[in-house]
Amino acid sequence: MPSSDATTLDASLASTLRAWNRRLHFYLGLYFLFFIWLFALTGLLINHHEWKFAEFWPNRKVANTEQAIQLPAAETNLAKARDVMRQLSLTGEIQWVTTRPDPNRFDFRVARPGTNIEVQVDLKTARAKLQRTELNSWGILHTLHTFTGVRIGDAQNQRDWLLTTLWALAMDAVAAGLSVMVLSSLAMWWVLPGKKLGGALALAAGTIMCGWFLVGLRLIAS
Amino acid sequence: MAARAPPRKSQRPVIQRLYALLRDLHLYFGLFVSPFVLVFAVSVVFLVHAWLPKPGAAPAKRTVTDITLPADFESLKGPAQLAAAHAVLAHLGVQGEIGFVRQLPRERRFVFPVSVPGRETTVDLNVAQRTATLSTRTTGLWDATVYLHKMPGPHNVAIRGNAAFMRVWRWLADATVYLLLFVSLSGVYLWAVLKTERRIGLVLLAAGAATFGGLVYALV
Repeated sequence: MPSSDATTLDASLASTLRAWNRRLHFYLGLYFLFFIWLFALTGLLINHHEWKFAEFWPNRKVANTEQAIQLPAAETNLAKARDVMRQLSLTGEIQWVTTRPDPNRFDFRVARPGTNIEVQVDLKTARAKLQRTELNSWGILHTLHTFTGVRIGDAQNQRDWLLTTLWALAMDAVAAGLSVMVLSSLAMWWVLPGKKLGGALALAAGTIMCGWFLVGLRLIAS
Repeated sequence: MAARAPPRKSQRPVIQRLYALLRDLHLYFGLFVSPFVLVFAVSVVFLVHAWLPKPGAAPAKRTVTDITLPADFESLKGPAQLAAAHAVLAHLGVQGEIGFVRQLPRERRFVFPVSVPGRETTVDLNVAQRTATLSTRTTGLWDATVYLHKMPGPHNVAIRGNAAFMRVWRWLADATVYLLLFVSLSGVYLWAVLKTERRIGLVLLAAGAATFGGLVYALV
């Protein structure tokens, strides 16, 4: 009875795969739960500027200080900025925001979620002006959603802080985890008895609506 | 004892019915929202790495002459200006969301991008000459995911939603969040009733919380 054995083996393998697929679905969901909640809720906040309770920019705290530094001797701008940051005890992601460079100035921003520090180094007097902007908890949440250190179309800025890289990796991992959860849910639904029609209708409704925005609008508005 | 037994019996079906209802809603809402989740997830990779596949075709340019403009076009502001701009766009055969309006008063020009997901048209309107130069670029499917991810967003909120599709997308983006929250909460409940998976689930939940908390603490 080799064919019967093979069938039993196939059924057993399929059952094991189904069980692990189900486990994978909720293991990923549980591990990424707090990340998913953060990105979902902050996405909502970002899209609802009118929600007064979550206002952060008008409530920001700004402090200005100034201190003497030793002029950085490094060759690259990144190394110079790191030298200045070390002297000023600053940590964070370096952002280059100056559009019109002045040969007597060395300016950059140090950013971390909830805090931005504009650093303006006067290369003639060897003094650094610091403008520190602190945001409230809503501002921190808002920034966490978008804190990648890079922007599409902005070649000037690259990730330069280890923690930004780790946070970016976490964002990648959440995106990959959610994608796997979607695929595993499709596999689970497909073998569920009595749910094919309802599931197909729900999936089709979502796909048509989403597809309309992704592709349909472009085709119709041509 | 006899008086206590009936409520227990009657409660059991309620819990079972609640479980079955939650399981069904988890399934159907999850399947509905899954394409939207994929759009947001795929675009995250592009946004995090600041990279997009380059669009193949070069922008297509055309100039339209003798366009009809309201006499007070240059003095209009806010919603009135947007309405007038959309009327001009209809005349030009361009549809989409106006990203922003840049006025160049000395040159009597207006420049504004008009987008639908996957395509951007830059309109350069010369009021003095009554001409419009249109530069249309097909940005493609991947860019469409990024555009939808970032919209409506926190920028230019006063004019955002000036196209009908953006107002609908705003609603759908919100619905995606609410459904995702429901699916995650109901998922936690559906896991919690599985006694055999509680321990490993708790370990993963704690590991996720520690990773999340540790990263946020270090960043902030």
